[in-house]
Amino acid sequence: MSEIPLINLVGPPNSGKTTLFNIFSGKHFKTVNYPGSTVEYSSSDFLDKFNLKAKIFDSPGIISLNANSPDEEVAVESLFYQPNNGIPDLILVTADSSQITRHLLLTQQLIDAGFKVILVLTMNDILNRKNLRVNSGLLSEILGIAVVKVNGRTEEGIEDLITTIKDNLKKPKRNPDHSSLAKFRKKEYIIDTFEKIEKIVSKVIEPINPDIQNANNQLSILNPTLKEPSQQPDALTLKIDKILLHKYFGFIIFLLMMGAIFTSIFWLAAPLMDLVDTLFSSLASYSSELLGNNWYSDLISDGIISGTGAVLIFLPQILILFLILGLLEDTGYLARGAMLIDKPLSKIGLNGKSFVPMLSGFACAIPAILSTRTISNRRERLLTIFIIPLMSCSARLPVYVLLIAYLMPPDKPWLGGFLLSFVYLVSIILSIIVAYVINKFNKSLIKAQDDSSFILELPTYKLPKLKVVLRNSYENSKEYILRAGPIILILSLIIWSLTYLPNNVPEFDKTGLTEEEVLQIEKSERISNSYAAKIGTFIEPIMQPLGLDWRVGVSLIAAFAAREVFVSSMALIFKVTDEENIQSSLISAMRNAKIESTGEPLFTISTSIGLIFFFIFALQCISTLAVSRKETGSWRIPLLQLIIFTSTAYIFTFFIINILKSFGIN
Amino acid sequence: MKKASELNFGEKGIIKDINTLNPSHRRIIEIGFTPGQEIELVNTSLFNDPLTFSLRGTLIALRKIQADCIIVN
Repeated sequence: MSEIPLINLVGPPNSGKTTLFNIFSGKHFKTVNYPGSTVEYSSSDFLDKFNLKAKIFDSPGIISLNANSPDEEVAVESLFYQPNNGIPDLILVTADSSQITRHLLLTQQLIDAGFKVILVLTMNDILNRKNLRVNSGLLSEILGIAVVKVNGRTEEGIEDLITTIKDNLKKPKRNPDHSSLAKFRKKEYIIDTFEKIEKIVSKVIEPINPDIQNANNQLSILNPTLKEPSQQPDALTLKIDKILLHKYFGFIIFLLMMGAIFTSIFWLAAPLMDLVDTLFSSLASYSSELLGNNWYSDLISDGIISGTGAVLIFLPQILILFLILGLLEDTGYLARGAMLIDKPLSKIGLNGKSFVPMLSGFACAIPAILSTRTISNRRERLLTIFIIPLMSCSARLPVYVLLIAYLMPPDKPWLGGFLLSFVYLVSIILSIIVAYVINKFNKSLIKAQDDSSFILELPTYKLPKLKVVLRNSYENSKEYILRAGPIILILSLIIWSLTYLPNNVPEFDKTGLTEEEVLQIEKSERISNSYAAKIGTFIEPIMQPLGLDWRVGVSLIAAFAAREVFVSSMALIFKVTDEENIQSSLISAMRNAKIESTGEPLFTISTSIGLIFFFIFALQCISTLAVSRKETGSWRIPLLQLIIFTSTAYIFTFFIINILKSFGIN
Repeated sequence: MKKASELNFGEKGIIKDINTLNPSHRRIIEIGFTPGQEIELVNTSLFNDPLTFSLRGTLIALRKIQADCIIVN
């Protein structure tokens, strides 16, 4: 026995499977793609303290061995054979004791298919509160497999489980029968199995203290028609649902709640984002001062430090978004939100489960695309990924703020906030229209056809576990930094090189200029002669129909690293000198800017409005494309997104600008 | 005999059969909608779709089109 045994962990969603995996692995697990698919799984060795040399494999939750989605297919196939690990030696299946009848279906299928199985019963405390318990000894005897009760919170029963695992690993290997899957798909099998399980459950569920009157009451009010000791749904949950899922108020409460979340993402994150911004810009100017005026000083301060700042500036929003979503999910409300919005979303080919990813998209498309994994229907998942870049992510905010500030008459600053809300409203309406249109063509655009469904268990309301929520938002933020961070950083460096190289600064008369002014002139001369300017001149014919010139073109190219780079790139190109107040000096520079060939003003009401619309549509984010490629499994969808959204942006901007001009609005 | 989607708000019914012509029928049985079980329509949202049923001590939301395959009396 030199080979390390492989243990597979399966169970229905919400059956405590992941908690168990975290206990075994001590959270030191690796998450990788299953060979030949985009489905992710985690695997780990057991912690040393368990003194168990074995590998544990955690796969997506399943309620039965009949797979309904790519995730479920992986979970089922991995039980029989894993391309990188071989044949599993032992299956651990979890079941929630308070949902035991429904959760035993999977266990019974595993037994029927001939697997070597250990049943792990979780959530026993919920059942105990009703003065009931599962007689695990009797259950083990009837099922013919080991049954262990475990408390995921106190880790009670874990030791017992480890001993049972060791005992079972010593027993001879079994050869499960893959062909039995066909039998499991038959309606009669599932119904017969449920009847069998109901009989078993009625034997093994017993009152903890039979003398207590309460116990007898509990048992007798159970399902009177069947004498099955299941329970009524949680009474408090039903009461809360009377309000939160009220036919009319329910939807209003939902909209108000989402509105509040949406504004708080921006409102709570704003001071933190300012802090990150200030921190990195002062760090950049400090290092530039320290290193002097040379290329590596520029590389470090303008390239690396500013690039890192571009990654970290969105962290506050992502953290807050996941904190709020995590709290809502942990209370049990998020599943209900998905239910409430399912009907309107199904009209445009989406699913209630698309809602949370779409909401996340307003912070950042990257975590949003990752969170579409909960959508089991492949077509709906792909369509959700497809339209996520249309949600106006927070990187677009600085651009909107700049252009709106330019549009605003200085005496009416309040108009700005109003206009900004209007921009978001327009972007939401346009996304809905685009989703509708894409859905109409989805057979040719998104090549996946299967039946749409919405089947969702609404969990019992409970107080959120802050520790779990904090941990999840930490994990999500880490994932954002690891996935998007390197791409944004590398691109920032490329853009920096394009705007810096070939480092060509012609001689000019320096008499009467301060050192500061000389530096600024050098900077703008360098960028005017840079490769970026050459690319800009090259794309000038594309910019001309929009009434814009190469300087805006270069900034739009630079925005592919991260959209908010548009603002800093404009500041650089328009030779903005005032470090203290970039925005107001940039705006006055924009007001004076003229198109070089014609001498007409470059920024007008029409071109500014046009640019806002360009940013609403255009997919100017390489990180989004990279994540979309990874999650959809090919370049097809990311390329379609890039082409469709960016060309729509261009055409839309063209029409907006020219229609406004034809009405005499310049 | 009627479909679960035709139950009134708060009305209970005992499942008689599941219509196998519905593409979601297998998942619906697997989640616990089996003949003999009592279900109650506990919630109808603004659009009357999806519907929430109480079943085996838990709450399950289904689209109307899926609830169509559950025959109750």
